[in-house]
Amino acid sequence: MLKLNNVSKSYNGKPALKQVDLCLSPGEIVGLFGENGAGKTTLLKCILGYLPFDGGITLDGHPVTRANIARISFATCEHSFFPNLTAAAHREFYELHFPAFRSKRFHGLMDFFELPANKALRHFSTGQKNQFEVILALSQGADYILMDEPFAGNDVFNREDFYKVLLGILEPSETVFLSTHLLAEVENFISRAVLIHRGRIVGDMTTQELEDSGRTLMGYVKETYQYKSDRVSKALSDLTGERQEEL
Amino acid sequence: MSYDRETSSAKIHSEARDAGESVTRGIGNWVPPGLDHRQEVKWIAWAFSLSLLYSLRFFLALFQARDSLFLQAGAEKILDVNAVMPDFILLLRDSLIGFPMTALGAAALLAYHYFYHFQGSKSIYLMRRLPRRLELVRRCAALPLLTAAAALLAAGLLLALYFGIYLLVTPETCLSSGQWDKIWNVLR
Repeated sequence: MLKLNNVSKSYNGKPALKQVDLCLSPGEIVGLFGENGAGKTTLLKCILGYLPFDGGITLDGHPVTRANIARISFATCEHSFFPNLTAAAHREFYELHFPAFRSKRFHGLMDFFELPANKALRHFSTGQKNQFEVILALSQGADYILMDEPFAGNDVFNREDFYKVLLGILEPSETVFLSTHLLAEVENFISRAVLIHRGRIVGDMTTQELEDSGRTLMGYVKETYQYKSDRVSKALSDLTGERQEEL
Repeated sequence: MSYDRETSSAKIHSEARDAGESVTRGIGNWVPPGLDHRQEVKWIAWAFSLSLLYSLRFFLALFQARDSLFLQAGAEKILDVNAVMPDFILLLRDSLIGFPMTALGAAALLAYHYFYHFQGSKSIYLMRRLPRRLELVRRCAALPLLTAAAALLAAGLLLALYFGIYLLVTPETCLSSGQWDKIWNVLR
């Protein structure tokens, strides 16, 4: 279990995360949602130890250190691969550093997405780069797979394929923590939704609970964020009014 | 082209390239993954060659100074008994400067190796979460440290060699005393 206990983080005195408490259990597929700057990326970076923070993060009761970091993988839209290396060279590098590397899964996914093995990644399209980033995260052999907007730049068919493949290949012990803006797309794919707003966890519900309460994920998000549904029509009306006045 | 098909069709090329560009074997294991280490080694070799070439100007100064110890008597050259050979350190001047400069360049190379992990992607994220704690440091620092150490060692060896040659070609009566002290004072 990945457990965040009272995690806070601030940048130059400006709070980015405020007393975050969160538990991720094995086998969950958790969506992390929030507006830009809500703290999604900061939260993931704190889990990975990239940023210093206050509070505690433990993996099965132990702090996340070099001893257990291999149990967490990370796919980011910023990409964490080496652009000058080929996919085959990445496999070699990962096999050396991550003993649980899933070679069969790697080959299967490379084949499925028809990615070239011997072409430097800098020559890949943005969509291919994203696919490869996620393939590496899924093949590392990690129990907790963190993803930060991994499909930014991929077309909708591509993303849909990925969700399906992901659901098909994940083992019961593997946990996915996915930060994304694509609410509607992941609604049927996740098992739990965590909402973050201005550094605070403001919502945490399983999709089963949502279903039982007769709400959609989008509805839950809008409700939690107190989205004003008449905002657009009001703005348009104001603008149109202005234009009429100008005329 | 699928992964399998592409793998088999490019097998020969891939094997040939892997042998030279492996990131887990040879020099490739001691530099940031994907870095063109061959190019870097070439630049380092150039830096050493130019430093060595520049150091040869010591011999120009040495033989000019040695010539001035002799007086021309017809066709013969006679040693001027009152002449004093300039100190070794004066003749050496900045002949060996190329080597400390190479060592400084190696420090810049270390910085380049680190910032390489931010070029085109954030591979620093991967390097920072590897189970081997020193992997990033090792890959960033190995080649620059080796280069700096080799440059300083080469400078030391050449200093000793050139001093030996200075003692060898200088007539004993023309040598001024305290040469070692003078070298040491400059080095300090």
